[in-house]
Order: sequence, then C-alpha cells, then structure tokens
Amino acid sequence: MSIGLRMPENFENFVHEEKVYGREEWSINLGRSNAAFFEQLFGHMFADVTVLGPNDDPQLLPLDALIEPSIDAFEFSTPDQSKTDAFAVWIRYRLRVYDREGKLVSNWPVSAYGKSLTTKMNSSDALERAAILAMRDAAALMIMKFDNVTRISALADQPGTESEPADASQTDEEEDTEVQTTALEGSQDEAG
Amino acid sequence: MKQAKRLIKAPVFALMILSSTACVTSTVQDARTGLTGINEGESVVIMAKSYHLGNETEMKYIRCIEDNLARGSKGLRVIPHDEFIDSLFPWFEPRTAPAETKNLAKLMDRPGVADKIAEQGIRYIIWLDGDTDRVAGGGSLSCAAGPGGGGCFGFAWWQNDADYDASVWDLEGLESAGTVSADVSGTSFMPALVIPLPFIARTQSKACKTLADQLHSFIVQDESV
Repeated sequence: MSIGLRMPENFENFVHEEKVYGREEWSINLGRSNAAFFEQLFGHMFADVTVLGPNDDPQLLPLDALIEPSIDAFEFSTPDQSKTDAFAVWIRYRLRVYDREGKLVSNWPVSAYGKSLTTKMNSSDALERAAILAMRDAAALMIMKFDNVTRISALADQPGTESEPADASQTDEEEDTEVQTTALEGSQDEAG
Repeated sequence: MKQAKRLIKAPVFALMILSSTACVTSTVQDARTGLTGINEGESVVIMAKSYHLGNETEMKYIRCIEDNLARGSKGLRVIPHDEFIDSLFPWFEPRTAPAETKNLAKLMDRPGVADKIAEQGIRYIIWLDGDTDRVAGGGSLSCAAGPGGGGCFGFAWWQNDADYDASVWDLEGLESAGTVSADVSGTSFMPALVIPLPFIARTQSKACKTLADQLHSFIVQDESV
C-alpha cells in the first residue's frame, strides 16, 4: 500500500512551553522527534511511504491514502503537582486519513500517556523520558488499532469511496480484549 | 605522633561502621504453584508491572534485581528488560503487556513473538510490583554556620518500608509458577551534636538482595538456600 505522509510544520521543531502556576516555567523541546517518530512508525507499517513537503499536491502522486498526523494537546505534570516522585506526560495526537480523491475518511484522536520516576535523574531527563514513553504508548496503540479504526487497508488500489468519514473519536478509549488494554491512568486523569 | 593519628583514626572508623548500619527487619515468602527449574542457555527477564495499573516499581530496583540474579558463578542468565521490551515492541509496553498468564497463549501466537522469545532463550518472565515509601519520620535537626565555624544539633529519624511482590511466569508451560514477596522495614536515625551522625537503614537494598536470593532459589528449586 502506498501512503503519503504530510506532517505539520511544528513537527520539525516541536516546543511546548508552560508556566506552572506559582512555580517554574517549563520549556519542552522535542525537536523533530515527532516527525522522526511518524516517519519510522509508518515506514514499518506500510510498504511505501512518501513524506510530502508543504507544497506537494498528493493528488499528483500515485498514493492510495494520505495520512496527516497532528498534536491536539500536550500536557504534563510535575512531582510537585502530583505529589508523587514522577513526571507524567499526556499527548493527544490526531490522525486524519484521506483517500486518493482527497476526501477525509477517518479522523482518529489517539491519547497516549507516559510516566517516569525522578529517582537518580534530573528533572529534565525524567520529563524527557516520560515524553518518550508517551510517544511509545501512542505508537503501540497505532500499530495495534490503526487499520481497525481507520479502515485504511480498504483504500488500497481502489477508487475513492462515497462513504462517510469514520468517526473514531471514541475508539481509543474502547477496551481491546485481545491486547489486554488496561484502565488507563492517563485517561482517568484527563477526564478529571 | 603516630599514636595520635591512630587515636583519631579509630573513632572515625567506628563512626563509619556505625553510620552504615541501622535497624532493618525483613520478611520473605514464596507461594509455589508449579514446578520450576532452569536449563543451560535459558534466561529470565525482570519486568515492572504496568504503571497504567498504578504500579511504581523503581527502575533502579529492577536493575538491582537483575544484577543480583546474574551475580556469581551460579547466577542466572538475565536479559536486560529494556532490550527485551524493545525486541518485542509493541507487545510489552505498559499499555499492551499481558496482565494475566491466560493471555500468554494468544500473545505467543502473534507473528514473531514466540520466535523472539525463543531467540533470547527466555524461560521465565518475573513481574515486579511494589515500591519503597517513607512511612514515618520525626525529630528535629538544625544546622548553623558562623565566622567561627558551624555545627548541627538535634535528632531526626525516618522509617522506610519496601514491599515488593514478584510473579514468576513460566513460558514453557505458559502458566504461573508462583509468587515471591519481600517486605522490609528500616528505621534510620541521625543524631547531631556538632557533627551529624547518619545511621542509615538500607531498606531498598536489603529488599533487593532478599528478593533476588529467594527468586534464585525459587527458580532453581535449591532447597538449601
């Protein structure tokens, strides 16, 4: 299957800045790790992946589908806030999948969570580790559920369909008995 | 002069010995549900239960158990957990790792999983659950410094509890072999009369050594240990 991957500009140099009320100011620089993450992930998942530049027109390329990842939200908590020894990071990615006609066929929010204890690490290292674990969490979820949720394999070698976009807004919260997905601490915290 | 040096060295040495010890009590138990044993070429991997389940086992504790199990001439072959998790990505991530042995059969049917496990010779997965917490403390200790020097005065104490459980999964029979647990409680003291003298209870280290020794004997079924 031939996939086009179009990443937002901020994936090349993602910086999250936040001032924790009454405390320090945090700046988390993930650099181009999000871009590298999706290139590597989809490179393993699909036979042929073309990374599109901002001026590339996907309809002029022989693609079965176009995937546009983005970040809806990036949040973290410090040990001071959570009253634990851990940093926690929540990332909510959004994956939009388009068919070869350019029609949106799936819109999937992926919530990921990572946590790292501060022991023997400085704060910066522990926070970075929590962010990496959150990205791994997202990758694991995407590998396991991408096709079930987005039905992308149905777009292979087919003309554009007339079907409605798959609303996947709840699917990452569904329990997957096959992979023993557990009650997510991150999801609970997000809900709270 | 030499004698004076000896007189100074003796109490310093005594203080160093005293400072390294404090009161520690430990309990270790195991509950066996199946026969164990390990052959040459077979290995074990130490994993922490998922933090998605609220577990907070420290990374340094996992490494300590790995080191202690592998140590010595009778040490077990231990696969570093990071290496194991990476080699089986995404099946042992916090979100996806099997929570019960009944899920093992389905996991082993996944493409490449059984091959990767066989390649590393992994016979047992040991799941750690638990952490070390400060459960009590008290006293008061204050320090001050001035042009003529400085010093501390007072007394402080604290108690740490290290409670860890290890579930041993046998990948040969795809079943649980049993559990081993270690509960260690240690109280540290620090009296100060000009110089603070720490009497530190090595609670977590003791819990590591105790659990690793018991796990070793549990796996190799060495009744003499």
